[in-house]
Amino acid sequence: MSILAIDTATQVSSVAVADEGKLSAELTMQARLTHSETLMPHIEQVLRMAAVKKEELAGIAVSIGPGSFTGLRIGLAAAKAMAYTLGLPIVGVSTLKALAYHVPVPGVRIVSLLDAQKGNAYVESYRWEQGTLSVVDAVEVAKVTDIVAHCARIAEPVLLTGDVVQKKIIGKMELPAGVMTAPGQYPDAAGSLCGHARPGRAQSRPSGQCHGYRAGLYPPQ
Amino acid sequence: MEKNQEEILTLAIESSCDETSAAVLRGGREVLANIISTQIPVHQKFGGVVPEIASRKHIVNIMPVIDECIRTAGVSLKDIDQVAVTYGPGLVGALLVGVSAAKSLAFSLGVPLIGVNHLEGHIFANFLSTPKLEPPFMALVVSGGHTALVDVRGYNHFKMMGQTRDDAAGEAFDKIARVMGLPYPGGPRIDALAKEGNPLAIDFPQALTEKGNFEFSFSGLKSAVLNYINSEKMKGHELNKPDIAASFQHSVIEVLVGKAFQAVKEAGRDTLVLAGGVAANSGLESRLREEAAKRGVNFSYPSKILCTGQCRHDRLPRLLSGSGRPLQRPVSQCSAGAWS
Ligand SMILES: [Zn+2]
Repeated sequence: MSILAIDTATQVSSVAVADEGKLSAELTMQARLTHSETLMPHIEQVLRMAAVKKEELAGIAVSIGPGSFTGLRIGLAAAKAMAYTLGLPIVGVSTLKALAYHVPVPGVRIVSLLDAQKGNAYVESYRWEQGTLSVVDAVEVAKVTDIVAHCARIAEPVLLTGDVVQKKIIGKMELPAGVMTAPGQYPDAAGSLCGHARPGRAQSRPSGQCHGYRAGLYPPQ
Repeated sequence: MEKNQEEILTLAIESSCDETSAAVLRGGREVLANIISTQIPVHQKFGGVVPEIASRKHIVNIMPVIDECIRTAGVSLKDIDQVAVTYGPGLVGALLVGVSAAKSLAFSLGVPLIGVNHLEGHIFANFLSTPKLEPPFMALVVSGGHTALVDVRGYNHFKMMGQTRDDAAGEAFDKIARVMGLPYPGGPRIDALAKEGNPLAIDFPQALTEKGNFEFSFSGLKSAVLNYINSEKMKGHELNKPDIAASFQHSVIEVLVGKAFQAVKEAGRDTLVLAGGVAANSGLESRLREEAAKRGVNFSYPSKILCTGQCRHDRLPRLLSGSGRPLQRPVSQCSAGAWS
């Protein structure tokens, strides 16, 4: 019961396949190629790497933004056409939430930031409680500087994640005490898979975990 | 088991501008279904196509349009032998929706994907109206979105002789019609009005007429007509709309006719084909016919149902497979390789 996940919300192109919560294969690239050029060859390749036939898929997860206008439309058009042709259920996953699924750490405020241009970011904050990700402050657009300043007033440790961290924060901004940046700041398909696999979101299996702690930085709680 | 060429089922998708459309064709000439979702009323409010809104609408409409098309055609998805899609020219964001969906459909069905140049779609309309037509020939493509001279050297070999540097001829027709208070779409209205006017009454400019230049420019002409209308209004003169329409149309037609026959001569062709929405303009058609007869050149133009009013992108899917021949070229990357 494999799920195919697609993320084309940022300049990173990412495709992954998971089977019952196990990440079988993933291809994440940040090259100078457009999503239009890379997406279908990557889907083909990831399915081959995972040794899963497209006819064997049980569902498709796709990131639905916020993110790049054209990138999202490429991913969505491909996901919809594939789901239609293969008769599969399709699940949209918030790109911000997909980022937070990579950091399954309790006792921390996770703040996901995605570029909204002109010094602004889409921002949403989360907390893990008993293995469930819950939204603390719902999505809005704010100035990156204001978001960072606001983080200083949060009582618990803050972990910033998202493309804005690399683009606008690391090395460019003094971070207040208790505010840290997460490694791997780009959303990817593995994150979307986690979102898909969460209870209440899934229209089909798999259940369970497929967190993005591939780097071994964050052990599962 | 190889399917007979006449039995091949093509699913064609077009999303280059403000219409999402899909068609199912059998053997390249038989249209089993053609479903169109137009966004014209949405864009009309803004006086033109808004690219972001177009992309948004395409992503919403594309799967329902394809689904309705398959059902109307009475075929099963798994019977589709190939997928064709317009890859350009057009609005990039809009095109990408159709191209991404088409690539994904082709992959999911395990069939080839064929990229079709939008101008080819217009040109191949002529294969439906003139069954005996065969390359090589010179094509004059005139529509709401394009003005181009294309040397069609073979079914898969095209050479762009020249295209518009700024406005397409059709855009100029619409803009001037709007200023004269004529309802949308303006092209046919100006054509009708021009029949009652004197084409030599007002001396409007003709751009880039030097020999050997196959590019077009209509923005200067458009401004000249608009300035003329404004100054007449300022002087309190009653507008002689038939004369304005006739004189404007005369300028457009003379440029198109002059360059078209120059291109025919330069490329050594014996046939000129008129394609695109503005091909329905009777003044243009009759001038080309007259000039062709005088020069001993064959002249072909599509039947009006295929080129009324505007660019008529909605007609394109049925044209995408044209004679059935252009689709032999697999374009997995959708590159314009056959164009030189
Ligand atoms: Zn067109």
